[in-house]
Amino acid sequence: MAVQSEPDYSLFTAQEIEFVAEDELIEIVPNMRMDPLNLICGDFGPFLPQIAAQVPLWLAVALKKRGKCTIRPPEWMSVEKLTRVLEAERDSEREFQLLPFHYVEISRLLFDHARDDIPDIYMVRSLIEDIRDVRFHKVQSSLETFDGRTSAVQIKSLSAMEVNIVRPFVARALQSFQKLDSLLPETDSTPNNQPQEADKASKGRRVLRGR
Amino acid sequence: MKIRSLKLREAHKPAGVDRPSCCSVLWDQRAHHLVTASSSDPAISIHDALLPSSPPRILRHHRDGVTALAISPNSTCLASGSIDHSVKLYKFPGGDFQTNVTRFTLPIRALAFNKSGSMLAAAGDDEGLKLINTIDGSIARVLKGHKGSVTGLAFDPNGEYLASMDSMGTVIYWELHSGATLHTLKGIAPNCGSDFSVINVLSWSPDGETLAVPGLKNDVVMYDRDTAEKLFSLRGDHLQSVCYLSWSPNGKYMATSGLDRQVLIWDVDKKQDIDRQKFDERICCMSWKPIGNALAVIDTAGKYGVWESVIPSSMKSPAEGIPNSRSNNSNGLLLFDEEEEEYEEPSAAGSISDPGEDSFGESGPPCRKRLRKQSTYDELWEEDDNDKLSSPPKPKSRKECHDKKKASDNVHDGLGSIMLPARSKMQDAFQPGSTPAQPGKRRFLCYNMIGSITTIEQEGYSHIEIDFHDTGKGPRVPSMTDHFGFTMASINENGSVFANPCKGEKNLSTLMYRPFCSWASNSEWSMRFEGEEVKAVALGTGWVAAITSLNLLRIFTEGGLQKHVVSLEGPVVTASGFKDELAVVTHSSDCLSSGDQVVEFTVFNISKSTKAMQGRLPLTPGSQLMWFGFSEEGLLSSYDSKGLLKIFASQYGGSWVPLFSASKVKRSDESYWVVGLNMTNLFCVICKSPDLFPQVAPKPVLSLVNFSIPLASSDIGAETLENEFILNYTHLSQIHHKIEAAAQAGMDVSSLEDDVFNVEAAQDKCILRLIASCCNSDKLARATELVKLLSLEKSVRGAIKLVTALKLPNLAERFNSILEVRLLAEKGPKDASALNVQDSASTSITAAAVSEKKTDAIMTLTTPKLSAPLFIKKVKSQEGTRVGGSDQIDQDVNPSIPNDGATKFKDQKIALQTNVGGEIKKPGNVHELQSERPSSGFPKSTDNLEKIKNAGQAHRQPPQRPSNPFLKSAVK
Repeated sequence: MAVQSEPDYSLFTAQEIEFVAEDELIEIVPNMRMDPLNLICGDFGPFLPQIAAQVPLWLAVALKKRGKCTIRPPEWMSVEKLTRVLEAERDSEREFQLLPFHYVEISRLLFDHARDDIPDIYMVRSLIEDIRDVRFHKVQSSLETFDGRTSAVQIKSLSAMEVNIVRPFVARALQSFQKLDSLLPETDSTPNNQPQEADKASKGRRVLRGR
Repeated sequence: MKIRSLKLREAHKPAGVDRPSCCSVLWDQRAHHLVTASSSDPAISIHDALLPSSPPRILRHHRDGVTALAISPNSTCLASGSIDHSVKLYKFPGGDFQTNVTRFTLPIRALAFNKSGSMLAAAGDDEGLKLINTIDGSIARVLKGHKGSVTGLAFDPNGEYLASMDSMGTVIYWELHSGATLHTLKGIAPNCGSDFSVINVLSWSPDGETLAVPGLKNDVVMYDRDTAEKLFSLRGDHLQSVCYLSWSPNGKYMATSGLDRQVLIWDVDKKQDIDRQKFDERICCMSWKPIGNALAVIDTAGKYGVWESVIPSSMKSPAEGIPNSRSNNSNGLLLFDEEEEEYEEPSAAGSISDPGEDSFGESGPPCRKRLRKQSTYDELWEEDDNDKLSSPPKPKSRKECHDKKKASDNVHDGLGSIMLPARSKMQDAFQPGSTPAQPGKRRFLCYNMIGSITTIEQEGYSHIEIDFHDTGKGPRVPSMTDHFGFTMASINENGSVFANPCKGEKNLSTLMYRPFCSWASNSEWSMRFEGEEVKAVALGTGWVAAITSLNLLRIFTEGGLQKHVVSLEGPVVTASGFKDELAVVTHSSDCLSSGDQVVEFTVFNISKSTKAMQGRLPLTPGSQLMWFGFSEEGLLSSYDSKGLLKIFASQYGGSWVPLFSASKVKRSDESYWVVGLNMTNLFCVICKSPDLFPQVAPKPVLSLVNFSIPLASSDIGAETLENEFILNYTHLSQIHHKIEAAAQAGMDVSSLEDDVFNVEAAQDKCILRLIASCCNSDKLARATELVKLLSLEKSVRGAIKLVTALKLPNLAERFNSILEVRLLAEKGPKDASALNVQDSASTSITAAAVSEKKTDAIMTLTTPKLSAPLFIKKVKSQEGTRVGGSDQIDQDVNPSIPNDGATKFKDQKIALQTNVGGEIKKPGNVHELQSERPSSGFPKSTDNLEKIKNAGQAHRQPPQRPSNPFLKSAVK
């Protein structure tokens, strides 16, 4: 997709989205003792060695960088789960599988900072890349069916990164459709001549595309 | 030849269209059950052959498809091998999971029991095939020689050979005595490559004279037993190569199934096929019914069926004239013991063999069999002398052998146990937090709340690593090479201790201590023991303890000084150290006939050289001790194999109190491996079934588990509350115990007092909720009992509000009278008792008053020990109570009330007086009687007598408490 490669078109940069994703909670196994942290986003801890604790991703990464913990990869990041997701993703043309909203960013952060904590990292990595590609392809192909009748696009369980890439394009496309539409009635303004048809058209426009 | 059709029923889901799976089917020895499995289904089904319509029993223990099944000849044990690399044993026909007998690095393809059931052969895609001693689960031998994955295994019925076959069509004859290859026949069977739905199999004729192998020309070729020469072949109407074959029980007939989807029945003597059947799918496994004329078949889609009257009635039945028929009583080696942790304690558990009865009761004593049995043991011996040929056995089994040599009190003696009548054995010594040895894998010698010691054996040496959980605190300890073969270890903050059992003359039992930091350069030391063997080790502050096979407790100082040698009363089970205290568990007698262990514990105080405690260690019937140690607060705790955690509490003059029962909380597929505990939580590693212990990699993660007392399910259905209630009491009594100890030692107890207050507040909260649930289920008497247990006056008021809201005026009245009695009692115990005598209607109150009087008497004796903070505390709590009572009582059962009060006034000791003054002036619903209290609350303004009363008041509730919950639970 053309939009994908041009960051100017997307609403946020990938870094910004990653920043947002860093607030997601993740489980760590600390190897130090530390009192609870009372942060604005909540209280975390106390941290006891070898006992798992839930912390935001940014904290996990910071601790990991200092060698103070190991990160437990989330459940969905196992080869087994991902294989299943990938298969399901490939099987269904329209449906998107349920994955965390920030799956791209979380996996990216973990691959960067906690590669030794993920079992079968190469497998997991390639699976996630495959899933991402498959999903993207689906998004792309579904957007190809865009036409003048579309006034809104609804795609269920799309992830943050995917939405971010698609949204500006869709918004602009819809805008231009609307602009063209608004030109249209002036050219063939046939008031109340065929009320039924006009009605139909407007109805058709409002129907949300179930994706 | 007529073609009959046979209806097949689905037992396992097929892997998918055009994806054949490799299924197996087996009869048990009595033909009561059929066992089926499929490589596309992790479940094993046990079908009742007599009631085919009833649903099968499903065993779901594997994580992946099951590729191989085997049943021991006496049908007491079922073995299964799977793509998940593990071989598991189950009881049969019950199907209870027994143990993971071994693990491979690649999928298993074939399993076979030998005729006596004492040996299991397992093989698959791994390089070597393993011979496993089923008695103790040790690997007797690893046979290497196949290039491809081994798909067929068959023990010679006469017990001398094992024949194995790989997917490339190579057959190897192994001699079981020596493990040597006798014959290698290359490429005599079809090469099935990597298609694992087609497996090459082979089978000995029941008399053991010929070996049948699928041939290259769509036939079955017979090979001679000793010379491995080709004898003859069965060739006929198979259009494609044979993929499975099975001898009839008497060896007269053979069933073969081909890739051409037909099954042929052969008369072996005439070398002619007598019947055939075509199927929709390829039949991948068949099994003759041991008694009768039937053949069970299963196809690649997981559908099975029983082909009745296979052999025409004009001919001899396939089960008639079974050669050297001893199918009904194989040598009677009952494979398993009832204990769950067979794997943990191999030598202890394998023991329950009751050959006594069976082998002596046999009608015809087959001397050949004896020979065979002998050979099994020979092998064990050889294997021991000859480590190079086989994989290194577990240290435990070595120990066993050594004992055998010494012919000592044959407790772990395999040979001895054959002569003994059936009964379970005394538990072997173990280290808390250790895991059993697994060949080729790292294992824990010690895992506790501080760190872990792991070891792995490689080519005669072991590599030991020491890790601290808190990497910031502990020193970095370099890994070490261990030439001794340590099997026991213990770790604390200051150092680690290691010990090994003795292995033969040259390798004496050694004890080694390594301090982590010491000012002296060479401060590690070791001791050698001649003629005795270290069985357990423990560490504390400044001392090291080792308990030996001569039942001696040897205590060394940190520097290696031999300080004490003490004789213990029995063979050691385990030992654990905490600061100055050493706890040792010993057997006090042989097992009871019910199989229960009789063990006792002794606690020594090393620094004072005293014996702090001694007594029986209770275990759940039929269980063994799994973990033993101290909680973080220093309370003795034990965990047994039935999942019950007990601590030694001061209640009832010191008794074991169960705090956690795994059966109450656990989901069926989890087991708890205890590491430690503190006042409120259990630290353990949760292991997914069937594992009973964690592996070193990936690093186990500790889980916090809340205590759950094994309570009876009560009629008010508030088990969590009741659980909390008892836990709080236990907790309170522990703190009070500590306070007493601290007061005696003249230490400051104010922080403990704060703890008491917090726990009491939590307890009141819990009681109020219990009262609510009691009222809801109309147990008013119980609610009244509960109200009396409330420690804060405000909570009582809360309870009154609560019952008023619940429209129980009767109860509210009763509560009010309780409150009055209470307030009067606070004013002066004498008045209270007088009032109680008048109020003769409620006998229970009188009883309470009597007990109050008693405790008051006791308290007057103990008051001199109590220090000033107590009074302040008391005042504080009253303050909190009162403010809460006047301001917040409208919120009825707000659980946070006591805490609010506490925190508000925690730091207001100075402002105390003014506050109180303000309080008294406050109008509203302050109780009339309450105005009496502030005056008695001030230590300064009251006389000494008042003080004592107050102290008694502050202290009165706790001593009563322990008795109350148990009264209650007894009522339940």
